[in-house]
Amino acid sequence: MPGIVKYLAGVDTPETLVFGITGRQGKSKSRLMNKFGTHIIAGCTPGKGGQEVDGVPVFNSAAEAVETFPQLNTAVFFVPAGAVKKAAMDAMDAGLKFLVLTADGVPSHDEILLKEYASTKDSVYLGPNTVGLLDTEGYLFGLIGGSATWAKKNYKPGKVGVISRSGGLSQLLGAFHCRPNLPGIREDGSYGPLWGEDYPGLSAVVCVGGDPVPGISMLDAAKAFEKDPRTEIIAAYGETGTTQENDLAAAVIDGRITKPIVIFLGGKFTKAGVAQSHAGAMIRNNSETWEAKNRALLNAGITVVERPDAVFGAVRDRLKS
Amino acid sequence: MSALPEYRTRILLEHENVPLVSGVFVRPGESTPQDIPELPVFLKAQIPGATSRKSHGLVRRVDTCEELEHNLNILLSPGKWGQAEGVLITEGLDLETEYYAGCMLDFGNGDRLPGGVLLFSTEGGSGVEVRSGSLLKMRFSLLHPPATDEIEKELKVLENLKEHKAVAEFLEGMISTYIRYKLIVLEVNPLGVLKDGTVLAVDCRAEFENSAVSKSDREIFFPPEIGSSKNLTRLEEIVELINRDDPSGTGFFRQNRETPLEDSLRVATNLCGGGGKMLWEMTTGSRTDIFTMNESDTSGGLSAFKSYRILRVILAQKEAQVLLLTGSGMAFQNQYHLAAAVWKALKESPTPLPSLLRFGGTDEDKAQALFEKVSGSLPVPVRTYPPEVFPNAMVDDIMEIASVETETGKEYVPPSGEPAIIVERPPGKIYFYPEKWTGEEAPPSVKACPTGFLEWKNGKLSTNPEARCIGCLMCETASILEGTCELRVHLELPREVD
Repeated sequence: MPGIVKYLAGVDTPETLVFGITGRQGKSKSRLMNKFGTHIIAGCTPGKGGQEVDGVPVFNSAAEAVETFPQLNTAVFFVPAGAVKKAAMDAMDAGLKFLVLTADGVPSHDEILLKEYASTKDSVYLGPNTVGLLDTEGYLFGLIGGSATWAKKNYKPGKVGVISRSGGLSQLLGAFHCRPNLPGIREDGSYGPLWGEDYPGLSAVVCVGGDPVPGISMLDAAKAFEKDPRTEIIAAYGETGTTQENDLAAAVIDGRITKPIVIFLGGKFTKAGVAQSHAGAMIRNNSETWEAKNRALLNAGITVVERPDAVFGAVRDRLKS
Repeated sequence: MSALPEYRTRILLEHENVPLVSGVFVRPGESTPQDIPELPVFLKAQIPGATSRKSHGLVRRVDTCEELEHNLNILLSPGKWGQAEGVLITEGLDLETEYYAGCMLDFGNGDRLPGGVLLFSTEGGSGVEVRSGSLLKMRFSLLHPPATDEIEKELKVLENLKEHKAVAEFLEGMISTYIRYKLIVLEVNPLGVLKDGTVLAVDCRAEFENSAVSKSDREIFFPPEIGSSKNLTRLEEIVELINRDDPSGTGFFRQNRETPLEDSLRVATNLCGGGGKMLWEMTTGSRTDIFTMNESDTSGGLSAFKSYRILRVILAQKEAQVLLLTGSGMAFQNQYHLAAAVWKALKESPTPLPSLLRFGGTDEDKAQALFEKVSGSLPVPVRTYPPEVFPNAMVDDIMEIASVETETGKEYVPPSGEPAIIVERPPGKIYFYPEKWTGEEAPPSVKACPTGFLEWKNGKLSTNPEARCIGCLMCETASILEGTCELRVHLELPREVD
């Protein structure tokens, strides 16, 4: 069965190019991805073409890599923030369809420019400032899991699709839906196992990143889960800043999204105009406040919870109903 | 986001040939320049972050040479506004008309692509930017910015504007400046028109993201003679230096500037990840009995070396009563490595704090087990939590742990002798004491190295040039836990924190 990238970018079988594969993080995360099952067939570092990293050939540009491996369709970037724009445009020009930009601190101008550039190309990208994407079909892009062993142990196939603007919560929302006997808050208010050995499991985790101009938005990810036959329910983490949650709510109201959604909405006490460690969480106008988002989500019939551990019980309840 | 004072914003505009009112800049200690514009002139003290200069007397009109000397001396001396970077002296022009122009970002939404926005008003003066009714808003592409004729076409709707072409040329230069330097805000207010139709910037300002400044422009945005203009506390400056020395991962730290309520509990926090910060805020945002001393975000796969350094800073906050450490969920950072850093910081800080620690992610069980072993030897109580327990539950224990009487920390004594290994990145010094290990096989510290960087050859410590130190602290942790103590790691802080 195709994974979530099929519905995000039209890619059935990801064949992956790693930008920055010769760097410290690029090398170690490529090992993680490869061990999890991601098919990495080439690397790219300008000036280091001709080298090999763990048997993977390195090219100077995406175009060179695609010339040798025309089946390439996906790229993951472990490059410094200042180099992301150029590298991503290079990959889009080479025809790669799905990009994952992990770097934190990409300038807002570069993010906006990339968004416009991608709109003229047949490419979509996740991030910047994302831990990536994990699909229980057997591939991951980015950093999710920390180690392949841990990721394989903690992310099991099932029916929950996770969307998150936080790296840590991406990992947690995914993993906890795969834990037998997970304790949590039950319908009667008591605390105890939410399910037995029959945990709901996971289709995929999509971390849209913590920046103000995400490539793939929460709504884009929700649309992909809407099409994904494995996914029965969406569990999400949203927060203040950007209009992603508002857009998601509007899509539920007009029927573009019909699958149930449970969202933990953070930032209830975030003050407007104050910079946050997630650059995208800064409130720039009234529609980006916690109150405005909470109202919009509730109006759309989306279950909103104010504690992360309330997500799992709510998911169980929505699945039952 | 940082603000750029007028005299430095002028440099950016000059680079794009945007016309400016003539002016000279004088730094403290410099004598009055000979090439000052013709009197009358305006003296504008350039104070980092000052937004209402007029109300503070930081802008003065002078008509005579005597007034010039007198006012220049006042503005260049430290005053209630602090120390000015210098004084900008600009020509006092007789303006025919005043306009307002600004550039900002539109972050877009589900229906609209993001881009830039040009704001223009035929009303100049203070506060025009919020009088939206009088504003022309023109969205523009950062990828394909508008040419002069496109801007001129937009301006045609403004019936009371006469100088369409000249203003359009000016605005095109402004947009070029905005894009070239990746500014967040660029304002010209007023944009002046002289009797002969000349259009020029009379006053200007900019805001920018530190991460967007290219290496070649650093001198403009961060002049070395100015030093820090970000109003950082002493401890925040130390964290900046830690990040400079070890840029891996995220190392965000900001102290709370608000005054705590008298009886509130002061909690120092190490919140790993932006989501971790949100969780803590959701838990305590409405509570007046808990005062969060600082925000912090240590995440993104940073080394245990760096976690230790930032923890030492967090623990050094005066009047802090409890340390709370949590991520939002599952970290990428190996949690056993993080636990080793926390243990080391609590041992070596002269001001350790009773601690609530939640570990989630790879080796979370080993992280908890470490503290089960060692917490008895620490001068402060430590309680650990699995990832299933969130801050909303941890906070229930916070008053109790704060009330436990604790010992004061001991003075940290650095390892003696010369380091056996100096690690450049992440920076750290490894000391080895061969007299404490006489066995033939590798000692616990070497066996614990997860990358193979430390090797044991012919009864001696060596390093494998093919492997690298990831700054995980497993070597020192193992040598202490096994009781052999043959290896110590010394992690210098860029400045004295305690």
